[in-house]
Amino acid sequence: MKRLLIVLLSVALAGCVAAVRVESGQRVLGERLVVNLDGPWNQINAPGLGPAQIWTMEGLPVDQLMIYTGIKNDEAIHAERNDGKTKSFKFRSGMQPDEIVALFEGMLTRDGSRFKLVKLAPAAFGGGKGFRFEYSLSRKVDNVQLSGIGYGTVSKGELFAIVYMAPRLTFFSRHQTRVERIAQSALVKS
Amino acid sequence: MKRRSFLKAGCACGASLIPGLAQAQAESDWQVPLRFAKPDVSTDEGGLWAIMDREETKLRRSPFTIRDASLRGYVHDIACRLGGEHCPDIRVHLVRTPLFNASMSPNGMMQVWSGLMLRMENEAQLAAVLGHEIGHYLARHSVERLRDAKSRSAFAQFLGLFGLIGAVGQLATLAGAFAYSRDHERQADSIGLMLMRKAGYDPAEAAKVWDNLLVEIKAKPGGDPATNPMFATHPEPEERKETLMRLAEASPGGVTNERAWQKETGPFRSEWLSDEIKRGQHEESLALLTRMIERTPSQAEYRYARAEVYRLRAKESDLDAAIADYGAAVILGAEPPETHRGLGMIYRSRNQSAEAMTSFKRYLQLAPEAPDFAIIKSYLEEEGT
Repeated sequence: MKRLLIVLLSVALAGCVAAVRVESGQRVLGERLVVNLDGPWNQINAPGLGPAQIWTMEGLPVDQLMIYTGIKNDEAIHAERNDGKTKSFKFRSGMQPDEIVALFEGMLTRDGSRFKLVKLAPAAFGGGKGFRFEYSLSRKVDNVQLSGIGYGTVSKGELFAIVYMAPRLTFFSRHQTRVERIAQSALVKS
Repeated sequence: MKRRSFLKAGCACGASLIPGLAQAQAESDWQVPLRFAKPDVSTDEGGLWAIMDREETKLRRSPFTIRDASLRGYVHDIACRLGGEHCPDIRVHLVRTPLFNASMSPNGMMQVWSGLMLRMENEAQLAAVLGHEIGHYLARHSVERLRDAKSRSAFAQFLGLFGLIGAVGQLATLAGAFAYSRDHERQADSIGLMLMRKAGYDPAEAAKVWDNLLVEIKAKPGGDPATNPMFATHPEPEERKETLMRLAEASPGGVTNERAWQKETGPFRSEWLSDEIKRGQHEESLALLTRMIERTPSQAEYRYARAEVYRLRAKESDLDAAIADYGAAVILGAEPPETHRGLGMIYRSRNQSAEAMTSFKRYLQLAPEAPDFAIIKSYLEEEGT
């Protein structure tokens, strides 16, 4: 998260951040993920982000929705630094749900933030068997307490997931239902 | 006086080519200063204190602060024994962050991170680190650094660093803000050892802290200590270790208080180990945990922790090594419930259904409130069909 803030600040100052409005309705994300939106979102585009699409309702860093539209075997779930010092968290096709959640946990705690898994259970996602998890995150950079939810599934060896987080007070509850509806509408095309 | 002694020590070092002797000379000359009065806020030092006071207020409210009164009191008492008459000015804050770090600010705010405490084998080793940090404080190295930065027209950059901290409240940056010079580090080592002796601790433990840390750093891929940020401003690791050993040999003896350390930190070890596993720095963690297992082979939670690291790394023979460690934890007894989950996960990945079911059932029996209960139950049902 700290890195994301720094990247966003840097590119914003350089005039490289673009916030694109994502309109409601059916949207095809990547090549195979289809979702239905019951309201518009803001998509943040900036160099150094990825591979997830970053969406927000309130603006970064208040809340963010990370959308993974087909992470391949041995691909990192975050933008990689080539400094040889920063640990990369890479998806493997054979990973089980708790291993995938541990992967997200690793990514979200690279800056020293603290992750706590609240619940992990099987759930339908993308039109097939998947999983749903709830978590809390103490964000190191500003000590804000966040709540989060995520859904995921592996289809043809690729990871599809949505992971949302927002400050526990006010913001998470404001948007949770909207995120749940996106997850329930998600369909991974074969 | 301090500066003169320090320069004299540096000259002696160059003349004798034996750093340890120079350090010993510096140590014998150095006198603990009287307690520091709060500087006027209009001075550069006063400004620095004010910034640190603000950061300390944030630290007190931080969710990362360990608030357990018993552990805080215990570590504070160690710092007080080292700090002597400066004790009333030292405020210890324990921070749950799985990295090796401790720091002390010029206003008396001391931070000790959980990753450091996990790595200490006894009270004397923690005293070595705290003594070193108190050494920086007593020698007022941060103020020296501030003035040095001003003289080099780098003042804005120096304060800018704190400005950034003020903006985002980042504790990690705060703790690492005082990148002292190598000479400062050498002097802090020397003072720290002197304080250890005065407090009755065995100074030989100081070199062991350094030695243990080196093993971890070397275990990391490309783990050249010379390229590690930790060593960028510190003396050469081998020189430092040998100097500390030489200084300790000059007056051996003292206590380690290992039993007290294990007793006081025991209730927190599981969560610190969990944080270490999640760090994802598998090679460093394996080096650390192997050392801990060799030192205390009867601890099931160390075996479990190393098994978890092997399982998460999942290279060639790692899963076999994980099964061996999980198994050893079960034999030792009082293993964490997650031991059985780990075993189940490996057996499941190897299509060993019967073994996977046995392990998952045991996990669910031992941890009915686990957050992943439902997903493990679903694995169990899948294995059963």
